[in-house]
Amino acid sequence: MRKIIFLSLVFLFFASCTTQKPLYNWDKYEITSYNYLKNNDEKSAQELIVTYQKIIEKQNGTRKVVPPGIYADYGFLLLQANKTEEGKAMLLKEISLYPESKIFIDRILKMMEK
Amino acid sequence: MKKTIFLFAAVTVLLSACTTTDPIAKSVAYKGMYNEKPLTILLMPPINKSTNVEAKEYFHSTLNIPIANAGFYVIPTFLSMEMLKRESAYDAELFLNSPITKFGEVFGADLALFTIIHKWDKSGIAAKVYVEVEYIIFSTKTNEIVYTRRGDVIYDASVSTGAGGIAGLVADIALSAINTAVTKYVDVARACNAYTFKDLPAGKYSPRYMMDGSEISGKKIFRATLNKNYR
Repeated sequence: MRKIIFLSLVFLFFASCTTQKPLYNWDKYEITSYNYLKNNDEKSAQELIVTYQKIIEKQNGTRKVVPPGIYADYGFLLLQANKTEEGKAMLLKEISLYPESKIFIDRILKMMEK
Repeated sequence: MKKTIFLFAAVTVLLSACTTTDPIAKSVAYKGMYNEKPLTILLMPPINKSTNVEAKEYFHSTLNIPIANAGFYVIPTFLSMEMLKRESAYDAELFLNSPITKFGEVFGADLALFTIIHKWDKSGIAAKVYVEVEYIIFSTKTNEIVYTRRGDVIYDASVSTGAGGIAGLVADIALSAINTAVTKYVDVARACNAYTFKDLPAGKYSPRYMMDGSEISGKKIFRATLNKNYR
């Protein structure tokens, strides 16, 4: 009897409090973005780029699409590394995946033309 | 008797884990969010009032995941940071008490999040970090606060070696100290952010969008003990 009560409570507990599968996968985003934010050097930029590439390659969260901002920030890092065309292409990908980013990204693209 | 006590204790644990003393539905607590249906959010660089200079970056790099996972469009972090720097708007404190409509125009942001780190203290031996952090989300349309929470968090970074006795205890303390010193601080901020934004109404990209209004909201001012397992 006690076991049944216990089990049902455990079940209830988890049913009421657990999270569902997240919308996106982020690989090592937190630590690599922290390192880049903090050090802003070539090594940390390279590691963050690898993280972005992995996030773009592998998405098995519930939405199965690349999370907000990833294409754009990846593009930004490519631009910083003077990979202008690749960087621009990533910014455009952000707009096509998330049209709500257009106001901001268009502004960035315009700034680049100057 | 024993059974009754057990049941009672279990129910108490269950309730204390999930509810507030004064239950308020999310649709009431975060009314502006349900009315305006915001999609995009700009993360302002955290305002650091603590004595730990690095706390700002710990928080900055861990804010977007819980918010994006809640279903919102987070304006690209590094790109927006660059823009804020160029526009001499990197010091978020300047905008805390002024209209932020401009952020809506420049970034296409419906919301702007301000994070204020009030305290970040660590105790070496106990491997604990004490954090006080406040989050305020403004609507760029109305300049009103649509979501705010302030937390008093104890992060427990202790790790057990699994060995018993005095030797085990010494080993545990040593391991905890190393653990604390390396990468765990990023995780402290991550856990604080995850806890706070667990209460965010679901955004447009969430399958629960506009379906969570009757859920009970979390406490506006909360105390929590978290560790690396908190997700």
